[in-house]
Amino acid sequence: MDIKIRIEDFSLHYSDGKESLRHITLDIYANQINVLFGPSGGGKSSLLRALNRLNDLTDVAVQEGRILLDGEDIAAPGYDVIRLRRRVGIVFARPVPLPMSIYRNVTYGLELAGIKDRAQWDAAVERSLKQAALWEEVSDRLDESGYALSGGQQQRLCLARALALQPEVVLLDEPTSGLDPISTSKIERTLQELKSEYTFVAVPHSVQQAARIADWATFFLQGELIEHGDGKTIFTTPQNSQTNEYITGRFG
Amino acid sequence: MLSRQTSQRIAFIVISLSALIVVAPILFIVGYIVVQGVGAISWEFLTGFPYNGMKSGGVWPAIVGTLWLTLGTAVVAVPVGVGAAIYLSEYAGDNQLTRAIRIAIINLAGIPSVVYGLFGLGLFVIFLNFGTSILAGSLTLGIMTLPVIISTAEEALRAVPQSFRLVSVSLGGTRWETIRRVVLPQALPGIITGIILGLERAAGETAPILFTVAAFFLPRLPHSIFDQTMALPYHLFVISTQVPGMPVRIQYGTALVLMFFVLSMNVLATLIRRHYRRQRVW
Repeated sequence: MDIKIRIEDFSLHYSDGKESLRHITLDIYANQINVLFGPSGGGKSSLLRALNRLNDLTDVAVQEGRILLDGEDIAAPGYDVIRLRRRVGIVFARPVPLPMSIYRNVTYGLELAGIKDRAQWDAAVERSLKQAALWEEVSDRLDESGYALSGGQQQRLCLARALALQPEVVLLDEPTSGLDPISTSKIERTLQELKSEYTFVAVPHSVQQAARIADWATFFLQGELIEHGDGKTIFTTPQNSQTNEYITGRFG
Repeated sequence: MLSRQTSQRIAFIVISLSALIVVAPILFIVGYIVVQGVGAISWEFLTGFPYNGMKSGGVWPAIVGTLWLTLGTAVVAVPVGVGAAIYLSEYAGDNQLTRAIRIAIINLAGIPSVVYGLFGLGLFVIFLNFGTSILAGSLTLGIMTLPVIISTAEEALRAVPQSFRLVSVSLGGTRWETIRRVVLPQALPGIITGIILGLERAAGETAPILFTVAAFFLPRLPHSIFDQTMALPYHLFVISTQVPGMPVRIQYGTALVLMFFVLSMNVLATLIRRHYRRQRVW
């Protein structure tokens, strides 16, 4: 199993004292669905946002340790975060289409990357909408607003938008939390189909979803990594009693 | 003891009356000016120069002067005001400096307009030696308008959902690209509305232009921004108080023109806001 991201003794504290991470050491495997799960406030989202430095936008008081993406320390001060965010995309919990057409939503990142070629845009729009399993539903109305779509379609549009940049890693922050079961299963199926091309790091919105999609799973509790292992083991025979209590629903 | 129905009815009447009391003076003022002034409106009145001690002729030079001053105010206040709003909303954190800026803006808004006039006279007309000129007048009106533009523009920028900024940055956008491509276009209708409302107030002001630009009587149009000009509000003041034997019709005619000018800007702002609010997705 190839290691895509190696997190080494990573700690993080916000200046408002909320949520923090303590001494996290964890490997993220390439072309797998790596799941981070646990009760809210456990630090999963913070860790996720450290992987493409979106934490830079919030008030981080202390950050220590290293995050190595293909061996490069992306947590280092002065690292080129713009380039990083093109390599590590993210899909947020709530679908947020940008206030523009479906087509321009997908090409937005390409425009920022300085790609101006219309043919390249067309190709990227078709490719990424197909990857996100949305192409057939929207191919004849790409000029409509992204907000003309249903919630589930909007979230797949957001996935397509992240995929358009052909990132190496895609972060998923509770990507189906607001969606109906049909849309949710569509997205879960899409992830399975795409993992041969991308590395996924996902924070699922429920234990059930975590168990369904995880190739690898890591349990977080109050800022600490409790247990890490392959999905099957974690969700059937966890070693740690806290993990066991959480997945069997005794707290959370 | 009143019954619940009776007290409910009384409350309704009192509240309706207060609403009526707000609307009535506006309707009365507008109606009165229209009735008194509409007889003066003619092609000659709108496009002619005043003559015969301003008791005859028109208000053309004052209309042109007010247009110039409004434009000049926009040139001064819009870039600075919108720039400051972007800084406050998108870049500045909550620190000593931004708190000082905000207090300055609030105080700027509270200064009486005649004080702006004196300030403009001291700084622009005398110290910087611009003379009584459109330049000095526009700068004075521009500074007076800044607080309105800054606060409305900042409000419009803050109303744009934070999630748009996060998405744009997550797709490899810099802060400035995010502002230019996503935040500003979404905030633009609100910003434009604020600009127009600020300019509308500037267009109707008399005190700030009194010492800085306004001419009592000028039988020609201004040649450049270093020239004086007549302007509608000051002209109205002059013919209402400084010229004995002035026909009432001309006074109200001038007031009607000024009111129409300001009101049409207001309507324009409302239309822009309504148009974009319908298109808005968030």
